[in-house]
Amino acid sequence: MATTAIPTETTARTAAWPRVLLAIGRIALGLIFLYAAYAKLHFEGEWHLRDYHFLFAMAIDSYKILPIPAVQLMARVLPWFELALGGLLIAGVSLRWIGSITSGLLLVFIVAMTRAKILGLEINCGCFGNNEKLGTATLIRDSSLLVLALAVTVGAFLIKKRRDTVSS
Amino acid sequence: MKSLPVRQIGLLIFAGLCILAPGAFAKKQTKAPAPPTEKAAPAATNPAFKKTIGNPNAPITMEVFGDFQCPACRGFFESTVKQVIDDYVIPGKVYIIHRDFPLDMHPFARQAARLANAAAEFGQFEAIERALYDHQDEWSAKGNIDEVMASYFPPTQFKKFQTFESQHISEINASIERDRAMGMQRNVNQTPTVYITAHGKTEALPGGGVDYKLLKSYFDYLLRQ
Repeated sequence: MATTAIPTETTARTAAWPRVLLAIGRIALGLIFLYAAYAKLHFEGEWHLRDYHFLFAMAIDSYKILPIPAVQLMARVLPWFELALGGLLIAGVSLRWIGSITSGLLLVFIVAMTRAKILGLEINCGCFGNNEKLGTATLIRDSSLLVLALAVTVGAFLIKKRRDTVSS
Repeated sequence: MKSLPVRQIGLLIFAGLCILAPGAFAKKQTKAPAPPTEKAAPAATNPAFKKTIGNPNAPITMEVFGDFQCPACRGFFESTVKQVIDDYVIPGKVYIIHRDFPLDMHPFARQAARLANAAAEFGQFEAIERALYDHQDEWSAKGNIDEVMASYFPPTQFKKFQTFESQHISEINASIERDRAMGMQRNVNQTPTVYITAHGKTEALPGGGVDYKLLKSYFDYLLRQ
């Protein structure tokens, strides 16, 4: 009995590790997204729920990519979108799809930042509030977040695949 | 049982955040407004050199940390500040304060700032600012500021600027340094950097200049409050 019980326990423990890593990854990413949303809504020591989008629109516009109406729409929506993504990542709801969307969003951010760097635009990142200048460190940080988001997404797909295999 | 704990922990953390966040928000909202800080009330303009445009009692104050040789400052002045002057400064809604923030990479920025300070003493700050930015290309390569600017002012008036500048050079330099020090204290790291003060609160706009339409919508919102 004992000889058969030990391998089963070990296998179960090994199988739990990917889940734990995935949970750590998605919670970390979720908290970062929640903080990004918070920094856009709360600055200069107070909440700016009615006027956050004016200053954020100026930060988005400094990338010189979108027309003004699109900039204004994005400024209004993005903090709430980040808040929702952060919440869903922490809750672990629909992780494969939320992870894919998060990765896509981070990829868009990185492309916009890289373009700004190539064009030599001296602008603020707009990632966590208005005061952070766009630099190489910002790009490295966002690229690391993209790697984490991709790892969470791939992990979520792999776990789902394994679960389907076991159940079938 | 296998997959439950991780998801439950996640849901618990999220639920906890949802409960705590509005609490923190309510706490902040009910807090009495902070007394105006040095940042909230725009510091008084230099008494000697009035580098301002408009009515000091306007409901909105726009402080611009600028460098006369900086191309981004020229772009911001030409595309945004001029429209702000027409639409908001002339009707008395916005008061503009210029702060000198000459960057070390621009060798003639201080010279231009000195002339602007001298012109400000004769109530000609807006005129010299327009002339310096409108004709930046003509003087920024060689630094022949006086030669270029002289053609845009009556000779007697321009002579007054030059005389004043030469007689008060140390006060003018000190004024420029005070503006720069103020900028450093407020973490200005690029030009133009703009601060908007209204209803006792000051907000820093993203550095590098702002589109007029976006600034207009912000001003209109502030004026509606």
